[in-house]
Amino acid sequence: MSISPNEAEAMLADVDGVVARVKQSRIYQISSGVIMLWGALVVVGDLLALVAGRWTGVSWIVVDAVGLASTLWMLTRAPQRLAVPRRYVEVVVLFIAFGFIWSMAIGGMRPRELDAFWPTLFLFGYALAGLWFGRLFTFIGCGLTILIVAGYYWAGANYNLYLALVNGGGLTLCGYAMRRA
Amino acid sequence: METPDDVIHQPVRLRVMAALSALPPDDEGIEFSRLKGLTGATDGNLGAHLDHLARAGYVEATKAFVARRPRTTVKATSAGRAAFARHVAFLKSIIAGS
Repeated sequence: MSISPNEAEAMLADVDGVVARVKQSRIYQISSGVIMLWGALVVVGDLLALVAGRWTGVSWIVVDAVGLASTLWMLTRAPQRLAVPRRYVEVVVLFIAFGFIWSMAIGGMRPRELDAFWPTLFLFGYALAGLWFGRLFTFIGCGLTILIVAGYYWAGANYNLYLALVNGGGLTLCGYAMRRA
Repeated sequence: METPDDVIHQPVRLRVMAALSALPPDDEGIEFSRLKGLTGATDGNLGAHLDHLARAGYVEATKAFVARRPRTTVKATSAGRAAFARHVAFLKSIIAGS
């Protein structure tokens, strides 16, 4: 069997391309479940804010705690068993700390601004993650951010319902699409 | 001196082995339909190449029913991983020697 250096180079490039696609496909497969989970939790959180506005703060803390615990469980128990590097956990903690500093201390935000701020903060994280893990994350982050900001201006009094549909529903749909990507 | 592997050398089989070897050895493998997308092969074509690889002992397929639909998952054997690694080393040696 005779193979020229050019043919060998082309074959290795082919191998590298397939390996990159497999790795990205695995990241999408694992992430899609987590994204759909957060989509469902966001729907619950926003609907709770709609029907029990007084308890919004508490209900979001519970929803977020359930989400974080479930996310860690899903990542470590997935068939593909993803070891979550400590750096990623630190990134999430930094995002949450940044969010609290602005939402509770400096920002002076009203409930509507808070409703827009927290999802867009984490969607910004999605957009950044896309630079390393695949453009679909960036598409989800930027696309849903645009819709959330649009709703902030135009959804009127139904903003929580709008967020449940657009942010929660959007995340669920995007997670489903990512699974099939 | 590394030598080429006649079974893996064929482009579709090379892609199949590249995809399967990219996963950790204890991974459950890749579904047939996803493998089809990754290799760009048709159903029949991929099936024939997988048979060829299975006869060489390089891959093993598991058939199961998930939600009443048949699902075939394929994974590389340790012999298949070793053969793929040797073939890649052979290709690299050609480039290094040029």
